Amino acid sequence: MAVDELQAIIQRCQILEEADFKGEDFNLFQVAGQKCLEDGYAAQLLEVIQNEKNKVIVKNMGWNLISPLVRCIFTYKQQDDKREHCLKILDQLAQLCNPKELLLGLLEQIEQTSGEQVCQTVLLLLQPLQTVLLKLQHKKAYSVGLSLAVIMNQLTPLPVPYTKEQIQEDKLGLCQCCHAVVHFAKPFVNEVVKNMEKSSEYNDVELKEELLKFCMKSLEYPLLTAQLEQLEGIEEHPFRRFATEIIDILWDIRELVPLVFLHRKGKSPDWENQEFVDIERKNSADSLACLSYLVFVQHFGIDHFPVIFGPSYLLQCNMTHIEVLLKRTEESVLSKGLDLFESCLLRMEDDSLLHQYLEFRDFINVPQDLVKVMTLCPMEHLRKKSLSILQLFIDKFDAEGKYTLFRCLLKTSNHAGVEGYIIKNIKDQIHLSLTKVCDSIWFTGHHLISLLDLVLLLPEGAETDLLQNSDRIMASLNLLRYLVIKDCESDNRTGVWAALAKIEQNFLKPLHVGLNMSKAHYEAEIKNTKENRREAHSSNTVCSVTVSGEKMPAMTTEMQLQVLHSALFTFDLIESVLARVEELIEVKIKAGMDDN
Amino acid sequence: EVQAAALAEHGEDITPARDRGVLKIIKRPGSEDESPMIGDKVYVHYKGKLANGKKFDSSRDRNEPFVFSLGKGQVIKAWDIGVATMKKGEICYLLCKPEYAYGSAGSAPKIPSNATLFFEASEDLFEDGGIIRRIKRKGEGYSNPNEGATVEIRLEGFCGSTRFDCRDVKFVVGEGEDHDIPIGIDKALEKMQRGEHCILYLGPRYGFGEGGKPKYGIQPNAELVYEVTLKSFEKAKESWEMDTKEKLEQAAIVKEKGTMYFKEGKYLQAVIQYGKIVSWLEMEYGLSEKESKASDSFLLAAFLNLAMCYLKLREYTKAVECCDKALGLDQDNEKGLYRRGEARLLMNEFELAKCDFQKVLEVNPQNKAAKSQISVCQKKTKEHNERDRRIYANMFTKFAERDAK
Repeated sequence: MAVDELQAIIQRCQILEEADFKGEDFNLFQVAGQKCLEDGYAAQLLEVIQNEKNKVIVKNMGWNLISPLVRCIFTYKQQDDKREHCLKILDQLAQLCNPKELLLGLLEQIEQTSGEQVCQTVLLLLQPLQTVLLKLQHKKAYSVGLSLAVIMNQLTPLPVPYTKEQIQEDKLGLCQCCHAVVHFAKPFVNEVVKNMEKSSEYNDVELKEELLKFCMKSLEYPLLTAQLEQLEGIEEHPFRRFATEIIDILWDIRELVPLVFLHRKGKSPDWENQEFVDIERKNSADSLACLSYLVFVQHFGIDHFPVIFGPSYLLQCNMTHIEVLLKRTEESVLSKGLDLFESCLLRMEDDSLLHQYLEFRDFINVPQDLVKVMTLCPMEHLRKKSLSILQLFIDKFDAEGKYTLFRCLLKTSNHAGVEGYIIKNIKDQIHLSLTKVCDSIWFTGHHLISLLDLVLLLPEGAETDLLQNSDRIMASLNLLRYLVIKDCESDNRTGVWAALAKIEQNFLKPLHVGLNMSKAHYEAEIKNTKENRREAHSSNTVCSVTVSGEKMPAMTTEMQLQVLHSALFTFDLIESVLARVEELIEVKIKAGMDDN
Repeated sequence: EVQAAALAEHGEDITPARDRGVLKIIKRPGSEDESPMIGDKVYVHYKGKLANGKKFDSSRDRNEPFVFSLGKGQVIKAWDIGVATMKKGEICYLLCKPEYAYGSAGSAPKIPSNATLFFEASEDLFEDGGIIRRIKRKGEGYSNPNEGATVEIRLEGFCGSTRFDCRDVKFVVGEGEDHDIPIGIDKALEKMQRGEHCILYLGPRYGFGEGGKPKYGIQPNAELVYEVTLKSFEKAKESWEMDTKEKLEQAAIVKEKGTMYFKEGKYLQAVIQYGKIVSWLEMEYGLSEKESKASDSFLLAAFLNLAMCYLKLREYTKAVECCDKALGLDQDNEKGLYRRGEARLLMNEFELAKCDFQKVLEVNPQNKAAKSQISVCQKKTKEHNERDRRIYANMFTKFAERDAK
């Protein structure tokens, strides 16, 4: 019987000295103990372990029982007595065993789990883990760090619940687990706080560093990808709570404000090599970006921050983080970047951001990233949001800043829709200049002409694809029409009249040519398609299109004709505006000549 | 406590535009005469309230002063303007209109739109903005010019966007002043390598300082930018390369130079010159009796003069150290005792200062200055005791009241 075997080995070891325990004894003990558990004799095993006489044996050999113990706990049902016994055994082991060995046993157990078992196991073993770590007294820093690292490593592969339903269900137990881990870390945080008030011992710097590492990891997972807005119907949002708890820890260990304003720190005195600092900074980029989001968008921990910083400075500090977030493609991360950018911009007054800020590389990179989101992101609400943020960004700059930004985006966006949008902005700025008492030198005169060189042209001359560029071309024509109407030739404040010859040559003439060519081409296509319809449907498709693994059906002739006709319609539209513009020019020139 | 209303009525308008956007009342004037300059790192304790009296921020809640670089737009406009007018140790009140604070945007979540802000601020200390060096083209080799090295450089000096200086010049490091070159360049050269081309951003303290440079049209306390190329240099002899005879000869020359700089108020340059004497002679061994006497005499003069310079530079701890060294050579030296007393007085160590001044009187009973300094010490000691008494008196009353409840 299992219990007898156990008793046998116990009796043998009772008379031995601790130093005389052999490998064989350890094995026998483990096998016997395991068998007891599997055969359902948990109660008896508990008695053996609780027996004072067996204290030394348990201290040395107990940790080997962790694995079978955990297995049993998960097999038994909640109400089962045997489960209670097992839990008590676990508790006893935590009290009695050699802390170092038991620690390894517990961590090994956690490392071996995966998938659905992970959170269950972690939740079970956090309490004994904490007991063991507290027993380590002054040498605990490394072990605490190791434990937290192992736990976080096991959690990281788990998917983060995102929708309200997923959070409420918490299928894998991640939400529960996160909260439990923070609770687990509490006594260590308290220890660091207490020791900070006394003179610092070398060891406490280590413990603080380990807690800091844990916080940084949590910011990356799960917080970076978690959904952190208030949700209707959920009283206590588990991730919002977790975020608050992490920030509280950072505040308690006095790392919150320094982390958020990391670049304000001088060279860290602990690092000989600036390279190390730079590498660390790169690895922690995601965590720091998430932290800024938590503070400035969700206002977690914002009470601890000075309310003195100038809004331009806050934007400058956050640009690196915004860039990091906008480069990602997951909705959860991207939307945080957009929210952070928006919240920084909303703190500023219009026209208050000095153009010199564009000398910072991220101030040029970020709007370009924004354009990528606007044009490439598959999620419509994010595309719309990034467009509104781009407009906000433009609005905050002073005149020279707007000017420089327009130039930059016209050159780099490579997207007709964006270019059209920028050109409309330019028109608005010119309008403000012409109607204000003091006009800006940036949107009139020779600066404007230089900008118009980028606007009033066809990128590939007469061969430009007018359809693809129609947004941009329409915007340019509208701008030109506006200039011609608003600016008298005698005034010539915008300088457009002096540049007219150039505009005709680079823009208007090639546009005529292009329109004629395109119309002819499409009319020929329509004729062909109509003729082909009379013939039987040929099954020789030259090419096919596959989207998401599904082959798209070939376009019917009707659909093809529809597309071709709508193209013609676009050309007509362009042509009519072009005609109107040229008419206006002629009228004005004639009026000018008559005046003379 | 001064209310916002009092500020609105009696406060001084410190805005450059004179639009009453930032009003100030001094609660307690500073102990020093200097205000921080652009680029200086400033440490401030403060409390901020909204118009309705609600506190929105306090550095004391964080148990540490707020630190920032002045005049760089890191803080709201009212602070860049206000803190620049504060002297070290000053406490003042500031009333700030929204145009100089957070404007119509406010600052979520604590500051609403169009909020007028009220601050009580005390300036703890500030550190000079120093020298920032950006290397455009790296130099070669590993050695740098040392103090006293002869360098050939090309420099271009800019103030704002105006270039005021452009030339090739050869001079001795530490004596750039003789060629209208600010001390920041001398200091930076010691870190540069042969062939290096760099840009130097000099805070006013390392530029032309309070005197400005009328010759170049530079205003006082201006920030300067220099582009410097170190074409070549020849290192000055290290201390161990010179024999005692050479050192004593050079000491005489260097002492004169130092005195000349001192008379012109160029204290940083004077410190460099006197410092050479110390580094050459302080650890010199194997001197004959005659040499020993000469060396001690130079060292004594150097320490005493260094103490004077440090007093002028407000580096009081260093002044005390130099006096200690001087008194180590001559324990009853009147100047040494007096200057140490001065330094200690300025560090608020009144008892120690009084001791020094009393010793001065023992050495020279006719020293009137020492007599008056002693009464200054006594007066300050009394003032401080009064203040402490008031603070502690209230504290005990408060405890007693609390215990009684």
